[in-house]
Amino acid sequence: MQHVVLILFVVVTYLALAALSAMVAIAPTDAWTVWLASGIALGVLLATSIARWPVVLAGALIGAALFALWLGSPWLEALGYGVIEVVAAFAGAYFTSRFTGLPARLELPRDLAALVLAGALPLSIVGAVLATAWHMVSGGTQAASTFGIWFVANFVGTVLIAPLIIAWAAFRPKRSGGLAMPAFAAGAAACALYVISMHLLFDNHFQRAGVIAHIGLTYVPMVFMALTALLWGVRGATLAAFLGAVIAIINTAQQEGPFANANGIVAEGELQVQGYAVALALTGLLIAVLAASQRAAMQRARDWRTRFETAIDAHRMLAYEWDPASGRMAVTGDTLHLLGVPSSALATLADWLALVAGDERDGIAARFEARRDGQGTGDSVAYRVRGNADNVVEVTDEARAVRDHDGALHRVVGIVRIVPATAA
Amino acid sequence: MNETAVASVPAAKAASGVASTVPVPAATATAGTPDGAFLVHGLGGTQYDLGSMHKRLKNAGLVTHSLTLPGHGTTPEDLANVTAEDWIDAVVTKYREIRDQHPRLHVMGMCMGSLLAAVVAQREQHEKGNLVMLAPPVYIDGWATPWYRSLRPLLYTLPAVRNSMKIEEEDPFGIKNEQLRAIVKAKFERGENFHYRWVPLECIRQVDRLRAIVMKAASRIRCPTLIVHARQDELTSLRSANFLVETIGGGRARMVVLEDSYHMVCVDNDREIVAKNVLEFFGAALPGATAALVNDPRMSREDLATAVGAATARLATGDFAGLRELAIPDLTWVQPGTNRVSGVHAGKTYAAFASRMAQGGDPRLVAFGTPVFNRGVALVPATLTASNDEAILESQGALLFAFHGGKLLEARWFADDVEREDAFFGAPEPVVEGVVSLDTAFETAAATSKTLRKAPDNDTLLALYSLYKQASMGDASGERPSALDMVNRAKFDAWTKRKGVGREEAMREYVALVDKLKAAEA
Repeated sequence: MQHVVLILFVVVTYLALAALSAMVAIAPTDAWTVWLASGIALGVLLATSIARWPVVLAGALIGAALFALWLGSPWLEALGYGVIEVVAAFAGAYFTSRFTGLPARLELPRDLAALVLAGALPLSIVGAVLATAWHMVSGGTQAASTFGIWFVANFVGTVLIAPLIIAWAAFRPKRSGGLAMPAFAAGAAACALYVISMHLLFDNHFQRAGVIAHIGLTYVPMVFMALTALLWGVRGATLAAFLGAVIAIINTAQQEGPFANANGIVAEGELQVQGYAVALALTGLLIAVLAASQRAAMQRARDWRTRFETAIDAHRMLAYEWDPASGRMAVTGDTLHLLGVPSSALATLADWLALVAGDERDGIAARFEARRDGQGTGDSVAYRVRGNADNVVEVTDEARAVRDHDGALHRVVGIVRIVPATAA
Repeated sequence: MNETAVASVPAAKAASGVASTVPVPAATATAGTPDGAFLVHGLGGTQYDLGSMHKRLKNAGLVTHSLTLPGHGTTPEDLANVTAEDWIDAVVTKYREIRDQHPRLHVMGMCMGSLLAAVVAQREQHEKGNLVMLAPPVYIDGWATPWYRSLRPLLYTLPAVRNSMKIEEEDPFGIKNEQLRAIVKAKFERGENFHYRWVPLECIRQVDRLRAIVMKAASRIRCPTLIVHARQDELTSLRSANFLVETIGGGRARMVVLEDSYHMVCVDNDREIVAKNVLEFFGAALPGATAALVNDPRMSREDLATAVGAATARLATGDFAGLRELAIPDLTWVQPGTNRVSGVHAGKTYAAFASRMAQGGDPRLVAFGTPVFNRGVALVPATLTASNDEAILESQGALLFAFHGGKLLEARWFADDVEREDAFFGAPEPVVEGVVSLDTAFETAAATSKTLRKAPDNDTLLALYSLYKQASMGDASGERPSALDMVNRAKFDAWTKRKGVGREEAMREYVALVDKLKAAEA
């Protein structure tokens, strides 16, 4: 049952995007400006396990063949076209999976690079080569242009659609967590501004109204795309890229916007809008992926800190770093529960010494001075400090000197351990 | 008195949507019967949602009751066909079953459980005790709720979607404390069945229906109500608590706002504040002798005198271990000085203290003077005597007892001459750095035993149980359960077979057995 649903999804999506591609075509020939359907099979292949690949490829074959039949192609030609789509998608998915694993994620710049360079590029090349060969075998003569049109249309379509599918395939509704309402609202505002700016730029109705002068402000939507990608992440970036590409290509097809009738040559405007759509999509994706990788790095750092704090808290220990040059101190650990003061209140050595029992304070201060002046590497001392309930607790303080390459003292780092109480 | 009445019906029944408790003829509360507290867990959860509230309430002298809500305790798929009415029926049935067993019965719920508690309070016109609502989600509008939360009514119109769509639990799991959060995350990754990892969308629909019921019913709640809510609750904002306080009205409802927690208020940073407020609100005993001076001891002066007499009788025979039978599980004994028996001995470590006392020259407390009473506290002059081959100890001082509801909370010995006791009992055992103490190893093993993926066979379970009891409570005591109660009888017999085994030996055997089971899994 799941397989049937998957095949139906691929077929229906393929046909829908193929129809959209035909609709936004600039040149009224068999060459589409952007072949959005090419990204479907690759995206679904990368979003699923390898065990489902035959099912996905079967769906792509059926979808492509049906679309060709709808265009009036004979059975054999329709089947051949389907085979080209399947082989190209398989090639792209195979190479990408070598670098990212399955199911693919867009969480690191490396994932994005793999999708573009090992996925979209091989898919476009393989598809273009096979289509050109078919064209030549069928008696065609325009090998270069056939190759170029197939390559560019497939590449643009794949860069727009495959990331969209990969990003949204990983979406899981949650009770809490994920994108919260304030971030969503801010992202929605950025996305709305992005769509509006694209209309202002590409729709002649607005240009005639003088909202944006026809001065080629093609970079303006980039700002809002960047904001959308930052606030909405990869899913928002892929959605915005798709919407922007459709707006740009439809208007250009209607001879509107900055790329219409470039130098009076339709093909040149077509190429420009294709490049623009790819640049827009990759910019948004790159920003979103960089932000995601930064969040992942912060999460790893938080996990590391949690593990460290768990360990030292469980041992009733504190860690400190003392800068002898400035007297500043940084204490890590649960100072509030162990000593009754927050760690922020222990910002200098003087703060720390204030906790030391009065009769030992001078001695411990001298000890720290010795650590500053001495040439040794380590020093251990036991003394008493004020506890969390104004009681007195015993601690052991093991310090180590951290020296630079010349042997000069850089920092003194130490571990303070609260000695377990043995008496009431 | 401290028995926990957890509904223990077969999991399949709990999941079937049938109320998870079997009605029994209601017992009528008699004089001296302790108060009760009925605790209701949240959506997808278990009693883990309520943290240590069961234990704290028991320690405060209340009998706790709980139930496993329909669809819970098994797999999330079992929630698909459960309705809000099923949950309400289960809670109402349980409430009616236990209502007459106590002079006062308090009702408390966490998250969705608090909504159910409110519905019960309204429908049963509960005035026999108080109502506590912990993090009630009257509005699902917390800061971490996802942007698509408002779209769910649209999806409710599609039965196939609402039954198949999974709504997952995700970071931050309702917990602000990162160390605790890491523990919860690890529990999820290990697949421990303390909370469902997801719930069906249909289940959220039922919660929405329950929310609507509570919104209408809140104004008809008649009992004193405490609402505990975290300002940073990621699931439901303070608007929920404000709504309830305003709607219940009549000065019956008050609110405690927590500043350092997310949704799971009973396990997060402010759990102590939550416990303190709940105990105060229930008029229960707060821990410690000082608190016993403040609280209503729920004992007459005569009751207190009788209780002190029972405690001194045990101590006069040197039966420090037996003192636990008169006390809450977390009995605290404070022994002054710097010697082998000194220190604060609470809960599990009390057994170790009693064992050390038994080996310390037959110490007894004798020559009791006239006690002085103040609320739940009694101060009794006494003499600590002991003897061994080398010396005889006769140490005068005073013994302070703190009681609540007939149970001993804490005892403190104040010696006139602590040094004399230090000399007799000898220096404390040195703390060996870097070596894990037997106590620590035992506690670690006890925690590890709960993480075993495969349940051991019955013989092994009995061995684990008997060793644990022997190590933590000493020789078996009390009545042997009846032949009809086969499980508890087998457990009791297994424990009895360990009679005479020393505490440390039992601990070592227990640790070794757990290590063996864990190694077998690896």
